[in-house]
Amino acid sequence: MVDEQEKLLPIANVGRIMKLILPPSAKISKEAKQTIQECASEFISFVTGEASDKCHKENRKTVNGDDICWALSSLGFDDYAEAIVRYLHKYREHESERANYKQQTSKARNVTGRHDHEDKAEGDDDDDDEEGLCHTDSQRGKGTTSTCRRHPAPLEFRIIDRNETSPS
Amino acid sequence: MRQPGIYSGMLSGLSGKTGPHSLPLARIKKIMKKSGDDVKMISGEAPIVFSKACELFIEELTRRSWMMTMQGKRRTLQKDDVASAVAATDIFDFLVNLVTEPLNGDEDAPGGTDIIEH
Repeated sequence: MVDEQEKLLPIANVGRIMKLILPPSAKISKEAKQTIQECASEFISFVTGEASDKCHKENRKTVNGDDICWALSSLGFDDYAEAIVRYLHKYREHESERANYKQQTSKARNVTGRHDHEDKAEGDDDDDDEEGLCHTDSQRGKGTTSTCRRHPAPLEFRIIDRNETSPS
Repeated sequence: MRQPGIYSGMLSGLSGKTGPHSLPLARIKKIMKKSGDDVKMISGEAPIVFSKACELFIEELTRRSWMMTMQGKRRTLQKDDVASAVAATDIFDFLVNLVTEPLNGDEDAPGGTDIIEH
């Protein structure tokens, strides 16, 4: 019994996703939820199998995100593939920026005082908007710099962005 | 546990409602591994990609099933609605055997009614 459950996604999560799609007054039978739960696992196996075959043919050992995208497309889930290519892109961007941010903040620890913005007290937000840098309400960490592009999706963590290019 | 970045919530379309990822990555990875003997190594991104893909899949299957429910002028989504949706959708052909498999009756009461929950 326990083994069976390990092959399935938690039914609570499945149910939650379903409810978000359905009108508030809709009801879902337990059996229907279980069926969709099983279908989801089958979906994962199906797509993974296809992705894995591709890796095998190309003599690669690791199934990566791109392989999954390819498999989705190959099996007829083009819409998903498109959405996921974008999702994956954002994720990779986010990961590399996180790495940059960590680098920048550790660099900034060595910077004493401000360099670029001595004459701008709290007016930095205007500057940010002009530059198309990402929105942040953080006024902390003045003197730190970060390269940042416009983000279509709201970010949970704070990126401290200052104009890096103006001469000090 | 994974790095904090994955939990930042920025990437999930459902973040704020169901958390950063609506599906547990470790479980997804387990299911992937069980899909075949030759699936040995899985990159860190793959379960994340699947968490999104499964979300989309569940959404689509639910939506289509619900259309069947409405056609029957009902408000409770039943297993048969899921079976109908699968039958009506080409890309869900791989599910046909799964949804039309007759129950053994071991887990459910024979001839019993569905437990309705919302």
